[in-house]
Amino acid sequence: MLNYTKYKLKSDKELTPFLKETDNIFVVACNKCFKEFESVDEPDCAEFVKMAEEHGKTVTGSVRVDFLCNKIQTMKDLDIPEGTDNIFVVSCGLGVQTIADSVNVPVFAAANSLNYRGHHGMALTSKACDACAQCFLNITGGICPVVDCSKSLLNGQCGGAKNGKCEVDPTRDCAWEKIEQRLAKQGRLKEFLDQPVQLRDYSKVNYKAISEFVKTARESRLDGYYGGVHPSERKEMSEDISLVRFPEPDTVVIPLSMHSGAPANPLVEAGDKVKVGQKIGEAAAFISGNVHSSVSGTVLAVEPRPHPTRGGGVLSVVIQNDKQNEIADSVKPYGDIDELTPEQIVDIVKESGIVGMGGAGFPTSVKLAPNKPIDAVILNGCECEPMLTADHRVLLEYADDVIYGLRAMMKAVSAPKGIIAIEDNKPDAIELLQAKAEGIDGIEVVGVRTKYPQGAEKMLIKRILGRQVPSGGLPADVGAVVCNVSTSKAVADAIKTGMPLVERVVTVTGERIKNPGNFIVKIGTPIKELIDYCGGVTADDITIKTGGPMMGIELTDTDVPVIKATNGIIACDKDHFETLSCIKCGRCVDVCPMELKPLYFAKYHDESNWQGMLDMNVRDCIECRSCEYICSSKIPLVAKIKAGKSAIMEMNRK
Amino acid sequence: MLVTKLKDKDTLVSLITGKAFVINCHGCKEVGFPEKEAEEFQKELFREGKITGVLTTDYICNPENLKLHLDMRSKEIDEADCVLVFSCGVGVQTVSEHLETKRVYAACDTFAVPGGQGVTPLEYDCKQCGECYLNLTGGICPLTACSKSLVNGQCGGAKNGKCEVDPNMECGWERIQRRLAMVGRLDALRCPVQIRDYGNEVDAAE
Amino acid sequence: MKITDRFSKGEFVVTAEVGPPKGFHVDELVAEAKEYLSDIDAVNVTDNQSSVMRLSSLGFCKALKDAGLNPIFQLTCRDRNRMALESDLLAAALFGIDNVLCLTGDHTKLGDHPGAKPVFDLDSVSLLHTVRELERGVDLGGNELVGEPPVFAKGAVVSPCSDSVDAQLAKMERKVMAGTEFFQTQAVFDPERFISFMEKAKQFGVPVQVGVIIPKNVGMVRYMSQNVAGIVVPDSIIDELKADKEKTKAGVTGVEIAARIIRECRPYCQGVHIMALGWEAKVPEILKLAGI
Repeated sequence: MLNYTKYKLKSDKELTPFLKETDNIFVVACNKCFKEFESVDEPDCAEFVKMAEEHGKTVTGSVRVDFLCNKIQTMKDLDIPEGTDNIFVVSCGLGVQTIADSVNVPVFAAANSLNYRGHHGMALTSKACDACAQCFLNITGGICPVVDCSKSLLNGQCGGAKNGKCEVDPTRDCAWEKIEQRLAKQGRLKEFLDQPVQLRDYSKVNYKAISEFVKTARESRLDGYYGGVHPSERKEMSEDISLVRFPEPDTVVIPLSMHSGAPANPLVEAGDKVKVGQKIGEAAAFISGNVHSSVSGTVLAVEPRPHPTRGGGVLSVVIQNDKQNEIADSVKPYGDIDELTPEQIVDIVKESGIVGMGGAGFPTSVKLAPNKPIDAVILNGCECEPMLTADHRVLLEYADDVIYGLRAMMKAVSAPKGIIAIEDNKPDAIELLQAKAEGIDGIEVVGVRTKYPQGAEKMLIKRILGRQVPSGGLPADVGAVVCNVSTSKAVADAIKTGMPLVERVVTVTGERIKNPGNFIVKIGTPIKELIDYCGGVTADDITIKTGGPMMGIELTDTDVPVIKATNGIIACDKDHFETLSCIKCGRCVDVCPMELKPLYFAKYHDESNWQGMLDMNVRDCIECRSCEYICSSKIPLVAKIKAGKSAIMEMNRK
Repeated sequence: MLVTKLKDKDTLVSLITGKAFVINCHGCKEVGFPEKEAEEFQKELFREGKITGVLTTDYICNPENLKLHLDMRSKEIDEADCVLVFSCGVGVQTVSEHLETKRVYAACDTFAVPGGQGVTPLEYDCKQCGECYLNLTGGICPLTACSKSLVNGQCGGAKNGKCEVDPNMECGWERIQRRLAMVGRLDALRCPVQIRDYGNEVDAAE
Repeated sequence: MKITDRFSKGEFVVTAEVGPPKGFHVDELVAEAKEYLSDIDAVNVTDNQSSVMRLSSLGFCKALKDAGLNPIFQLTCRDRNRMALESDLLAAALFGIDNVLCLTGDHTKLGDHPGAKPVFDLDSVSLLHTVRELERGVDLGGNELVGEPPVFAKGAVVSPCSDSVDAQLAKMERKVMAGTEFFQTQAVFDPERFISFMEKAKQFGVPVQVGVIIPKNVGMVRYMSQNVAGIVVPDSIIDELKADKEKTKAGVTGVEIAARIIRECRPYCQGVHIMALGWEAKVPEILKLAGI
């Protein structure tokens, strides 16, 4: 594989004048740059330290930093020892400037930066682009005259070529001869000859525009929290489609495990008659959840069934729907928030089987019973996953309920503040909620700039409150509770009507769903029925996922039920990629919102180095898939990370 | 690091004769890609019936994965009179090498932005000159911080500390002077006359 | 005639500046220069000033030389790489032009060819070094010249009223190091600033000519003060121009101010360089009023 590492240690001769006048040297070496990821540490650091010592210099220490040009990460790794008078940096000019920008001692470059002419691209190929800002490829048959011709001529060859080779380098083909051959092959020679005379416009490389671009790009990159990505939103397929109640399913399959923690214990058996809202599963532990029937009818079986996110064999209650929608006697309004105590609210939430509906399924009642003071409840209306519009529709069509639920949760945890965070790609929801929340004490609606994975708790807290949840910690550690807006609506329903969590809003979308839509769906409805109802899929070679394209889980079998956390079903064209070697491009490090270094996870996974993964804090990974999304080598990072996490659990168990 | 901008519409329209197969590269979208503008233009072409197919993927500069995708779409590509590529110049060249007999057109112009790694552009750049001057300039690159890339001090064109070319840009050499004063290295300004050696370019590996 | 010979005789050296036309008809300009600038020591010829394309500096220098004037060949690094600069210097030597003023040059974006490639292969310091190398009989590639090497009086510029005087002094020092034998300054409107600059600059032991622009009207000086690098115009001068509009319009106020600046600066420098900007006809009057 090619090596585009952009620096090369200067020679002893070049460095001697600078070593002569300096002492007490600290060495900072860049340790990652475009090149196949083979060894963890590059040798240049040690080479320079040796050189300095041979000159009789005191070296106060040295540090290897991955991607020195990534200033934020670099600053975390930089600890300059006492007694350092000078710093020598082994890196390209970007790394040297990063350090020089941040310290008050003289900084020296121990390396020269290499210019692989015109190579600004990503993949380590021989194709190069000089970024001239006026692409000439359209008249040259796709061969770049600026890079491939030694003289960057635009109007044909210079006449200096001999035997088809360039006058500057006899091993190199004359670019213009290549261009003419290519054009001849395409029958475009005349077209080329008819072109007007081409002139370079050097004012097009306008660094003023570029510096403005850099400013805005940096702002959007670093907006709110480190990292994150901006995948194509593609929400237009379903965002304007109003909620429709999905037709009654004939049979529902309700898993007893739709939450994190222990599965619920079944309360019914085959042959039992059940009603809507009747408890059919009892929470089995502190972290667990009650399960209720979403239909009235007869229990056909209590048996293991395939589960949308956990694979086959999860104990489920299968119910024949009599479509009478008889409501259970236990379903009665609990009264108004003002009459309820915080403990009563938590009990209602617990009794109603409410769990996080954004995807994770963590029991909401547990969140509402922290042993730490909470000052803010944040309602997560980001819906940062591309394509999904379920929360968006809930915000638009149940705004009052969402606010009601928030008020209840604020009371439950005695939080003075309630913040509804909505991404700015939903201006209608922001406007509506702002109008609805006006005059309600303590409630604020905040529009936040779109960036995935903003809906992840830790990111949202950082963005909204500027607080950093510690590694391994929970939102409550920084005085916050984060809940999804659909969860809030479920809380409102439970209090106002007594109806537990038996239905939810699901988006069915994707370029391969015939008629996308947003539906109110009973828990336990087969996903297959949803897809069929929407006209089915329009191609064979597709991927169906439950959830969004980023964090959703691929379904090989659609005969699985909608569960409490099912926010969407998507059908998209399948991606076909070959995994290539890691080229140490650093993009995964740049986008990881948890500020981890995912490239190490891939390497250590392949070497079964679980301790290495643990040391690189793999357990902090939230599996948002930003790294995999940005990976230029298409490495399945999340699968490797998940495998690593299980191996570490296994290792710790032993 | 590269970013792209759509060519102006008239130029794009003049390129397309007959039908086009469209390729969008989203590999560097996080850095900068005119996604909305490209989509708008393609919708228009689609309405006019001028598109045989659209391939939206990433990192088409990777020849292996590009080939995989082009092979899968060969029918739509065959039906088209030209291939319109929305990517940087590296991507266009990779496509045109695979489709040697096809007219492959660049729909974008490519600009360089500072920063070598990752997706976050940097506020400063490295010109990869192969003869690093940072040791003489307190770690501020005179080639990129000065509009004229001067290596022997400022040109005298700065007004109120701002560059003559752009009043929002600080004079690089005034910054260098301040930095050198701060780290006590003003003597570096007494170094011998510096002359660039343009022979240091390394060609992209073949 | 090398202008350095005048400095070494201890004379107060007077130069003025003319800009070549956008075209090649120079008769009128040469006649004008002959009429008004024959009595001064030398005449600078600008090199695509403000990045606006005109007749080449070298070509106009030749025309002036033929007319009996003593030209100073201004040479910028904006439009030519080191080879073109060196060969133009040799051409100057061929024509007997032996004064050269080395500048970096304005950026191409500021002029009338914004799409042109800004060259800046060399800069003012390395250009001075190059001249000195040619005088040693070698070019920048290290190759020997054939025959007797050329000899030039090597000049450079400095901005005494710049807002970053320390940077200017550092650059001045580098220019001295690279062989500068005389300096011409950016226009001075505030003699006090110039005098305090010269206190620091005299250490280099290189003659300095104070730069003077004739203030034509309030709009012009305001514009320069706000936009032109190194130029600061005190309010008192603006007030003076405002005071008698008719007098200013007739050019009398400007001539008086220019002459006064020269008088006040004269004890602290070795000459004056007048940038008349089209008012070349007023140069003799200014010099008379200044007592030169």
